[in-house]
Amino acid sequence: MKQSMSKQYLFYAFLGLAMGFVVARIGFADYDELHKMFIFADLRMLYSFAGAVILSMLILAPFSKKIPRQNKIFQPGTIPGSMLFGFGWAVSGACPSLVFVQLGAGKLAAVFTLVGIFIGVLLHKKIHARFFRWDTGSCGV
Amino acid sequence: MLEYWPWWAGAIGLAGIAVLNYFLVGRLLGVSGSWAKVVGWKDDQARSAELKSLAEDKGEMEDALLAETLAEFGEESLDELKDDADIDTSTEHTVKAAQHTPWTVHLVFLVFMFVGGLLAAITSGNFQVELTLSPVHSQIFGDNWEVWLALLFGGVMVGFGTQMAGGCTSGHGLSGCARLIPASLVATMTFMASAIVLSFLMEATL
Repeated sequence: MKQSMSKQYLFYAFLGLAMGFVVARIGFADYDELHKMFIFADLRMLYSFAGAVILSMLILAPFSKKIPRQNKIFQPGTIPGSMLFGFGWAVSGACPSLVFVQLGAGKLAAVFTLVGIFIGVLLHKKIHARFFRWDTGSCGV
Repeated sequence: MLEYWPWWAGAIGLAGIAVLNYFLVGRLLGVSGSWAKVVGWKDDQARSAELKSLAEDKGEMEDALLAETLAEFGEESLDELKDDADIDTSTEHTVKAAQHTPWTVHLVFLVFMFVGGLLAAITSGNFQVELTLSPVHSQIFGDNWEVWLALLFGGVMVGFGTQMAGGCTSGHGLSGCARLIPASLVATMTFMASAIVLSFLMEATL
């Protein structure tokens, strides 16, 4: 699929805009809503997420052969990495996209999360190159 | 202030983005991948330059070959040669261009997520400048500086963890689970379970 540069910028900008909007309207940027989901006090957002997974599965199924393999392999970091992410999510209420939506809602404290994620990604890059060196797969790159 | 969407509207919205992502850019959604690209912008720049010089070298090589052919066989050999050569080079260039999305595109993606969140907050009347994250969050962590410290460390865990796991809520949770990739199912169950356990522990301290 050949795309001109400007088209790529346009598409990614649109996707970012739509995603930020939808995620905010669901309520994922609201820590109190998120916390209620994690302690099973209100499962609305969990249903949204599970529903989205099932819907995407159904819509994408006919194209499954055409979708490029994105190298999502099981590797030594899958479980410890996911655990670390889960703990961090519970503490900061942010995943790599939610932090931007929190900032968009005016939560200035999320600047600390933003800096934290930046440091975390950078730290992993350095440590991985030095000590781990296994294939982590990639996420949509 | 507008209510949050009912669960089914949220499901349709999120699935719409996941599907649209594939149809617009030819790959599945993954936000931590964009983070990796933006943080590693120097590597990405080097790769861009490499690809570019590779393409240029290829052009030079073709010119040289063409000149040789001309000298050897004369003008008439050119026409038949051209047909074959055109097909080869154009497909190869296309593949390379499609594979490489520069880091600035990913930055635009992340920044527009902020714009989308801002737009949603303003139009729903939820926009409010605050120094903390939420009432419950402050109740759990305490004073402002404690909240900020928690967010900083939480952020580091999120950044490090998602890179180590090779995906986050969107990449593993949405895209990966929708395609039933085993590693993504394990990752999603692990991060959800971890977040749930820690949230119950935090709730118990209140």
